[in-house]
Amino acid sequence: MFTPDEWQALGLSLEVAARSVLVSLPFAIAVAWLLARRRFLGRTLLDAAFHLPLVLPPVVVGYFLLVIFGSRGPVGAWLNEQFGLRLVFTTAGAALATAVMSFPLVVRAIRLSIENIDPGLEAAARTLGARGWDRFFSITLPLTLPGILAGVIVAFSASLGEFGAVITFVSNIPGETRTLPLALYTAIQTPDGDAAALRIAALSVSLGLAGLLLSEWLARIVRRRLGP
Amino acid sequence: MRSVYARIATGLALLTLAVVGRSAETPTPQAITVFAAASLADAVTELAARYERDTESPVRLSFASSSTLARQIENGAGADVFLSADEEWMAYLDERRLVAAGTWVRPIGNRLVMVAPTDRARAVELSKGFNLLAILGDGRLSTGDPAHVPAGRYAQQALRYFGVWETVERRLARAENVRAALALVERGEAPLGIVYATDARASKSVRVVAEFPAASHEPIRYSFATMSGSDRASVRELLAYFTSADGLTVFRAFGFETP
Repeated sequence: MFTPDEWQALGLSLEVAARSVLVSLPFAIAVAWLLARRRFLGRTLLDAAFHLPLVLPPVVVGYFLLVIFGSRGPVGAWLNEQFGLRLVFTTAGAALATAVMSFPLVVRAIRLSIENIDPGLEAAARTLGARGWDRFFSITLPLTLPGILAGVIVAFSASLGEFGAVITFVSNIPGETRTLPLALYTAIQTPDGDAAALRIAALSVSLGLAGLLLSEWLARIVRRRLGP
Repeated sequence: MRSVYARIATGLALLTLAVVGRSAETPTPQAITVFAAASLADAVTELAARYERDTESPVRLSFASSSTLARQIENGAGADVFLSADEEWMAYLDERRLVAAGTWVRPIGNRLVMVAPTDRARAVELSKGFNLLAILGDGRLSTGDPAHVPAGRYAQQALRYFGVWETVERRLARAENVRAALALVERGEAPLGIVYATDARASKSVRVVAEFPAASHEPIRYSFATMSGSDRASVRELLAYFTSADGLTVFRAFGFETP
């Protein structure tokens, strides 16, 4: 039903989405906690900066990534010299682009969750002698779980569909950066590619639907576990 | 209370209509819309500016790969004139009866070259089975996507002619149009690229390192035509201007070949 190229695009999409979520999650938890619990100079500015990918055209994000992480960009040249790590034209670069694009989605979900935690619980843990990290891992993090799950699933689904930032930053290379939306775009350009385009579109719809159902199901389980 | 909500709802509906209705209007009724291959960007922008100055009738331009434009026209995009970088995409539209009869002309041609970033440019000797992989190193060869972009198709033919297509097929950076392929070389992301001679000429950041002989690929002939349903006097006039002696002089100034 699907051609090998289409399976490859599907596998690549899942890989890029998984890598991008894995890389961004620790940072997202840290940033969400910082924004939810700390008051410091430049907090609003930091908040705005992390939200930029939501409001900027994805092509702009892709272009910035190209300027910074390209093989002649300041960070890109350094990464290549020090670690031999290339981002342009590679799956790692596609994961970076989708991670940047989906970062605000994860931060938002986790931050809302942290803000909803009753501060009394953390205070109680403190009076019982729990230190900072202990409190964070035994009280804050478990109670943030619904937010983390929601954030991860939304970010994962959004990462499957990221187009503009990916094609601008890492181009459209089969087996490396040609994820589902890029494969769909290529099929649309190709003469008599409509059948392929429809197949890939159907695949994307099923993936999106599966993601939404999964998140709903997980949210229900977590709600039941955590109680009212 | 209900009447207040009703009034607000009516107001919102009217506002939506006004906003949507506005964008649906064509900005200027007499504007001519030209869809042109990415490689024609500089020359056609110049020609359109001259035409607008002389006739005071506005011209709207849209540049992309010929494949993108042809697919857009097929799906009902309102192009009056299509300037394609090859014959295949014009034929594709002609088969679908979207080309106005008797308007298809092939006034200009181009050549295919290999380019490298200016600071890393070293001449490449083209011969059967030449070691392209060694020159590429761990980089990629940038060109239009051979699946649909004309420049990429010509590049594929030329690489087949020299017997190196199979070895570099997996090392291509497939760009969505020839100017995007050029940009990858300009930025130094790709050490080599295959583009038209006119693209190489338009950029200061790349140098030509090899010229493909005409025998190595199908002749690069641009196809110009009016789209069916747009066969009105002003459109015919514009196309006639592009292919007039004055028009061809401009194309030649940008490096295109005329018969």
